Amino acid sequence: MSRRRTLAGLLCAALLALAAGCGIPDRSDVQVDGSGPAVSAGASSFGRGEPPTRTASGADREIFVRNFLAAAAGEPERAYARVKQFIAREDRNRLAEKQGSEVAINVVRLTEKPVITENASGLLTVRVPVQQVGLLRANGVLGPPVVTDTEYQFSLRGSAEAGQESTTDGGYYVTDPPSVLLLDTLALRQYYQTRTVYFWNSDATRLVADQRYLPLAVPAERLVSEAVKWLIAGPSDWLRQGVSGLPDRTALINNAVKTDGRWEVNLDLPGDDRRKLEKLGIQLSWSLSDLDGPLQLTTRNQSRVTIDDLAAHRLNNPVYPLTEGPQRFTVYDGAIHPLVFETESIGTVPIRAEDNHTIVSAALRRAAEEKTLAALVSTAPGGRQRLVAGSGVAPVQVMTPAMQTFTAIGRPVWLRPLGAAQPYGLVVADGRLYRFDDRARMVQVAVGATGQVSAVATSLDGHRIALIVGGRLYLSAASLDGGVVSLGPVRPVATTLTDLSAVDWAQENTLAVAGSTNRSAVYEVSVDGAQQAALVTDVGARVTHLAVYPANPTYVLPAVMMMYEANGVAYRYRSPSAETIRSEQVLDVPPPPAGGRVGSPTAPFFLF
Amino acid sequence: MTSTPNPTPEHTAGWRPAARALGRALVGRCLRVTAGLRQTWRRSLQVRVVTITLVVSSLLVGGFAYLIADKITSILLDNAETDVLLRLRNGSDYSAKQFNLYSQPQEAQLQDTIEGTVNYLAGGDPQQTSGVVVAITADNYAGIIETRTSPAMDVRPLVSRELRAAVADGKVAHQIRTGRLTGEQTKYLVYGSPVPTRFGQLELYYLVPLHRQDATAADARATVLATGVALVLLLGLLAALVTRLVVTPVRVAARTAQRLSAGLLDQRMVVNGEDDLALLAASFNQMATNLQRQILRLEEMSRLQRRFTSDVSHELRTPLTTVRMAADLIFAERDEFDPAVARSAELLQAELDRFEELLTDLLEISRFDAGFAMLDSEPTDLVPVVHRVADRLAGLAERVGVTIELAVPTTPVIAEVDPRRVERVLRNLVGNAVEHGEAKPVVITLGVDQTAVAVTVRDHGVGLKPGEEKLVFNRFWRADPSRARQTGGTGLGLSISLEDARLHGGWLEAWGAPGQGAQFRLTLPVRSGDRLTTSPLRLVPADATLPFGGPRDGDLLAIGPGGGGALAIGPGPTATPDERAEARS
Repeated sequence: MSRRRTLAGLLCAALLALAAGCGIPDRSDVQVDGSGPAVSAGASSFGRGEPPTRTASGADREIFVRNFLAAAAGEPERAYARVKQFIAREDRNRLAEKQGSEVAINVVRLTEKPVITENASGLLTVRVPVQQVGLLRANGVLGPPVVTDTEYQFSLRGSAEAGQESTTDGGYYVTDPPSVLLLDTLALRQYYQTRTVYFWNSDATRLVADQRYLPLAVPAERLVSEAVKWLIAGPSDWLRQGVSGLPDRTALINNAVKTDGRWEVNLDLPGDDRRKLEKLGIQLSWSLSDLDGPLQLTTRNQSRVTIDDLAAHRLNNPVYPLTEGPQRFTVYDGAIHPLVFETESIGTVPIRAEDNHTIVSAALRRAAEEKTLAALVSTAPGGRQRLVAGSGVAPVQVMTPAMQTFTAIGRPVWLRPLGAAQPYGLVVADGRLYRFDDRARMVQVAVGATGQVSAVATSLDGHRIALIVGGRLYLSAASLDGGVVSLGPVRPVATTLTDLSAVDWAQENTLAVAGSTNRSAVYEVSVDGAQQAALVTDVGARVTHLAVYPANPTYVLPAVMMMYEANGVAYRYRSPSAETIRSEQVLDVPPPPAGGRVGSPTAPFFLF
Repeated sequence: MTSTPNPTPEHTAGWRPAARALGRALVGRCLRVTAGLRQTWRRSLQVRVVTITLVVSSLLVGGFAYLIADKITSILLDNAETDVLLRLRNGSDYSAKQFNLYSQPQEAQLQDTIEGTVNYLAGGDPQQTSGVVVAITADNYAGIIETRTSPAMDVRPLVSRELRAAVADGKVAHQIRTGRLTGEQTKYLVYGSPVPTRFGQLELYYLVPLHRQDATAADARATVLATGVALVLLLGLLAALVTRLVVTPVRVAARTAQRLSAGLLDQRMVVNGEDDLALLAASFNQMATNLQRQILRLEEMSRLQRRFTSDVSHELRTPLTTVRMAADLIFAERDEFDPAVARSAELLQAELDRFEELLTDLLEISRFDAGFAMLDSEPTDLVPVVHRVADRLAGLAERVGVTIELAVPTTPVIAEVDPRRVERVLRNLVGNAVEHGEAKPVVITLGVDQTAVAVTVRDHGVGLKPGEEKLVFNRFWRADPSRARQTGGTGLGLSISLEDARLHGGWLEAWGAPGQGAQFRLTLPVRSGDRLTTSPLRLVPADATLPFGGPRDGDLLAIGPGGGGALAIGPGPTATPDERAEARS
């Protein structure tokens, strides 16, 4: 019996050993499963848009200074490293480094050429007179300036290190550098591209443009990722009043990548909502306005919005509800008349003839449901002026005069009405800003800047307001929440023009501003003031009235359409100069009474 | 004990013999156990069958269990590998796309992207406890790009150099490693794939813990093992039961046969049912019945025969007595008859003597056959018995010219015997020797040791032919049937002597060779009832020559120093027990 037991035990042990031997091994050899993925071919746009390095200027001091002022351009993470290359080793610590989103570059406009003086001991001192334009943050927003310095000074020395004379490359080092990163506006234009991103207004009915700067050094493949990040980061501070960003804690998961010609964006979207995702899709398709082809938005919860073609999507979801082109009108002899130019369409006056008299200036806008909004400034007894407003299908039947009269009323502007909602407009009267509705009820609106308000202009979206207060240019965001027009904080726009007299929106992110350099001029100024360019430099007199049909991506026109009035004469701008609007070009002008003085067209404007 | 480290010399002196003793004890025990096992193995059919069943079924079940467990493990592992490979390929594609946006390893956002990618591939949720670890390393850009893992832990020890080399070579490869990442020793399936980028190659690793697979494999293994063991035990039990079913009746049959052979003729087997075993039992019972009937019949016949002999002897005695008396009368008066009649009277007298003698012997034999012979043992000195026998036969010896020589100890040889029967045996033996002595001396030798006494009677007559040593004890046997009897031998003397010796518990044996005469040996125990093992005297006389110049059958060869330094081979110095088998009956 014991023998049997022993045998059974042995066999059981053998079984156990066998069974234990066929488990998952503790360690195995390396087994190859095939080759890894190959490098995917693709066009690369690397290596462009990097600012020149320290040694690129050779011995030319002025180029060196210009390069130094451009060194911060490029990807913000390495901005300090690039600038520090220009700074002498012993002074590098004086430039306190910031990390990540803290990186901010002071964008300055050089008001004069840098002055380089050499003192007796051979030390080169550089004096750079500047105008502070703004602060370019890592997220591409150029915000208002935070410093008021009008001049920066630093020194240069030869590149030879002490005791290493032979290693000199003929270049320079900056000693005693400014404590902040500086970027010339020229360099900003050269090494960055401006991108327009769009945010929804508070009730998500209208896209509002905002501007971002993208370093050219960033490859095109990362544009989508950057655009999504911009949208996630929210609008510029001054826009926050009328605009809403994406939900909090929205995040881009890694980078957006292109797979088989389709862009894929993975998002972490709280409160996962397909409607929000679709809104974001429209936002993104406009924000990537130069991108065609399919795009797919996916959230972590696998909600998915696929846009088959971005271009078609943009067409189906126009950013502005513009269906017709602009029509030119002018005030002639106290009445509104259409203007006739070669190929342009000719409009009809949308108010009744009995209302069309004693008009000083007017604002006509098309609204939804075939309606037309009309706001007229007409003369009132006692040399005063009064606002008359009305709305309805043309011709507008009811025009209501305002209760108040003012010494002087500026050109009124309509904020873009939303559907059947109450339309509102803004007007400057006696140096103050008022809002009005289509029954001419005027209520004063507080402005965040001190001084006399002299002009107001509104963008196509109706939320961005340009103001001239105290002769200076400001931007503000208008909110129509609760049926009350209110303005958010103002953002000053730096420009070299002084004594500003009139403003209007020339493009989505560009203003047309009339002012004075030495002579009266009309300039295009970007909304952040970083870029400005002269449109008309020889106006000859102060511009009192400026009307522009803003260039926009929905209804594209071949050239800038601008009209202005100076010294009682209306001009039409035709690139590159302006010409007078003659009375023959005014339609329906009754023949002047014999011997009567021929009237002249004034206060020209666009109906759109 | 033997593993004691560094034993001191004093100890070594002490424990070596102890160890040796222990070793010996162990070896002895092992040997004993082995011997016991062997004996069990030889004796028990059941043990053999059960053992063989256990061994064979264990091998079979073990083989199957191994196959099944191995298959399950490999399926689990294959599934895991397929899953991970799919994830890895997706992951490396995804990573490649993500990193494709960067042209230099120094780019600041690359590190963030690597981290984001790793987190994304790991599922994003650091609390997730799937245990999968995703790592992106940059062996070519050490110092520029840090290794990122999600969840953050040091995976270097788990990614072997060989795997690293294979991945660096642009291959997707995997390996199973065991390591400790989260505090517990775990098996990991480590998969690696290169991630091509614009500036070079990064490496993506997935470390997937194999808890679940391991546990499932262990479960499966345990199940298979338990089933296998249970199956083997069950088979063993089954074999034991079945064997028992067969063996028990066989054992019963064996026992019954043993009893039967021991004379218990009425033993029978129990017949149950109608199967083969029942058939066996029935046949056995029939055989036993037949045997019993036959034996009884034979016994009856034998008894009748013996009775007949006894009856005939008795019935003959009465007329013989009458005839004897008449014959005696005639014999006494023979001188008055004419010589021819007188001669007849003498013949009649002689034949009547023989007749009487034969009748006495027949009666004696029939007493033996009937089992009525009784031993009348008493301590007796055998020396005077031998002398008496020699004296009695001296006349006959003188007549045939034979000298009787005695070789008896001077001291008394006391043994518990029946002197009358011993004397009859010796008389018979010596008488035969004298009769067949052919005028050559007859030697009577008496020997004794602690347990036995022996008497040999040696003659130098014609001797016995081979095979006749046993025949001489048969009743009415004659060496030469044609030879006329010179003495009044009845042909029953040696038979009666043999029965006498048996009655004492002793031996009567014969030896003879043609031309060398014969020797008879009577061996009796010193104490009545003792069992004999040896005899003090040799059966084969020392002067007998060997037939082929070698030792005789059954005799020992002695090897010892011979002349001239050579070895001499000769008969052994003492008798061996084998000799006694020659004529013992």
